[in-house]
Amino acid sequence: MTRVRVTAPATAAHPVTESREAAQESDVGQVFVRSLIRSQLRLALVVAGGFLVILGAFPLLLAAVPGLAETTIAGIPFDWILLGVGIYPVIGLSAWLYTRTAARNEARYRDLAGDP
Amino acid sequence: MNPGVAAAALAVVSVATAVIGFYGLRISRTTGDFFVASRTVRPWWNASAIGGEYLSAASFLGVAGLLLLSGTDALWFPVGYTAGYLMLLLFVAAPLRRSGAYTIPDFTEARLDSRAVRKVTSLVVVLVGWLYIVPQLHGAALTIRITTGLPSWVGSVAVVVVVCLTVVAGGMRSITFVQAFQYWLKLTALAVPILFIVFMLAGSGTPALAAPAENPTGLAPAGWYTNVSLLVALLFGTLGLPHVLVRFYTNPDGQSARRTTLIVLGLLSVFYLFPTAYGLVGRMFAPDLARSGQPDAMVLLLPRELIGGPAGDLLSALVVAGAFAAFLSTTSGLVVSLAGVISQDVLGAGVGGFRLAAVVSAVVPLGFALMTGSLALAGSVGLVFAFTASTVCPVLLLGIWWRGLTDTGAIAGMVTGGVLCGGAMIAGSLAGAASTPAWLAQPAAWSVPTAFAVMVLVSRATAGRVPKTLVRVMTRLHTPERPLATGR
Repeated sequence: MTRVRVTAPATAAHPVTESREAAQESDVGQVFVRSLIRSQLRLALVVAGGFLVILGAFPLLLAAVPGLAETTIAGIPFDWILLGVGIYPVIGLSAWLYTRTAARNEARYRDLAGDP
Repeated sequence: MNPGVAAAALAVVSVATAVIGFYGLRISRTTGDFFVASRTVRPWWNASAIGGEYLSAASFLGVAGLLLLSGTDALWFPVGYTAGYLMLLLFVAAPLRRSGAYTIPDFTEARLDSRAVRKVTSLVVVLVGWLYIVPQLHGAALTIRITTGLPSWVGSVAVVVVVCLTVVAGGMRSITFVQAFQYWLKLTALAVPILFIVFMLAGSGTPALAAPAENPTGLAPAGWYTNVSLLVALLFGTLGLPHVLVRFYTNPDGQSARRTTLIVLGLLSVFYLFPTAYGLVGRMFAPDLARSGQPDAMVLLLPRELIGGPAGDLLSALVVAGAFAAFLSTTSGLVVSLAGVISQDVLGAGVGGFRLAAVVSAVVPLGFALMTGSLALAGSVGLVFAFTASTVCPVLLLGIWWRGLTDTGAIAGMVTGGVLCGGAMIAGSLAGAASTPAWLAQPAAWSVPTAFAVMVLVSRATAGRVPKTLVRVMTRLHTPERPLATGR
């Protein structure tokens, strides 16, 4: 069997033409790239931060309101419902919002930077 | 539990796994297929496979066991595991896919243009992988012992044998099929018995034996430090798990990598509802399981405890099958990613090297697992997350988002994080669980920030060593791929 050298092929995942690469790496191109990176980072930090705030608020809420943790709904105590079930829709929503907005950021980049 | 029924369930799962794995042999031929399923796996397949790999012994058995012991305090585990995946989506998914690398060391070498960084990263990744495999083997040992009465080592060895066969046969491609099948098997195996139990309890109106807020063993609740530190470990540690990251490379592009992660989050959320239900039911209706000394076995024993008779036996057999699927799938995922790393850097690339590396990746932790007794599954996995959070996570996050990272900084940070966290883990195991102070038992809250700080400071100090390919690499990581001719 022939020996196959497995390395990370530089362009296998990203078939980019020479002129597009050059345009992206020009000074003007880099302005757009950096702005895209900044928007994506800001988006990620905002979503992460917002999520963590809500995550922290749940136990605080349970601690602050007396008797809330023990109230039962259908026999299940509320603290189990909040922390064991309620948090997952929050995660899902954050993820969905992020994915949509990230795609929009990239679409905007494509419009601005254009394809040669 | 009827040992015959349990053994049959285990045999069926193992054989099914091996068969699906061999089926993969007919499809995978090239090295590319072996490593990353030729980047053609579609989002739902991929997401099911990730879910299958990610949901390990800790998720299947350990979470319910901890919930039985500690109540709502332990809910941070499933939440943390899932939220960690969210962090992956936000900060890592698309850029890592675009990097084009096959393994994490590939990524760090490409980003920092340095073979030294690659070597250190490979070492860290292999350590993390082995540390993560050991609890899976412990879980298998526990399952075998409790359900069939066979000696513990049979379980660990069985997992290693099946995993080696499957991985050697088909590499990543067959693993994808296997993993996807096992997510759905695990979900069913966990859901059916507990739904049965809940309906039966609701129907018969049996009163609860204990209130959910009561701790059955009178253990003191974990302080806020432990909960926060654990959350830090879980949130930051998922980013760095090798078997998780390697699956990103199987997506066609960055946006589909994000979509896959979104589906995974849904699959994880649905899954974790069930161990939570087990924990709650266990606390209310079977608190003496906590005092039996093996809380991790709670999921295996609850159906028989509460239902009894042949129905209970069958349901328990289903759960046992799911548990074994959990150990098999996580271990396979880890072995594939470790084999990728070891064969590329040590044994020479190519299919033969990969197979040998796979065997090595599986056998070394087996030795370790056989020599050590099992700790609480979810807890020991929590420590592995802390280690990953202190080593791989900083280099990934800073590498993707910060232009100032240098090779020296990366190495300094990884070594610092590894030594601090590893040292804490060793000190903790030497001191014994009872006498380890909280800050040592879960070091993530201080080891992770320290690793980040060291990486940043040393990079700043060696600012001249920023790679010359920086602009090209950063552009490639963050800009969307050219839309394909199909117009997707």
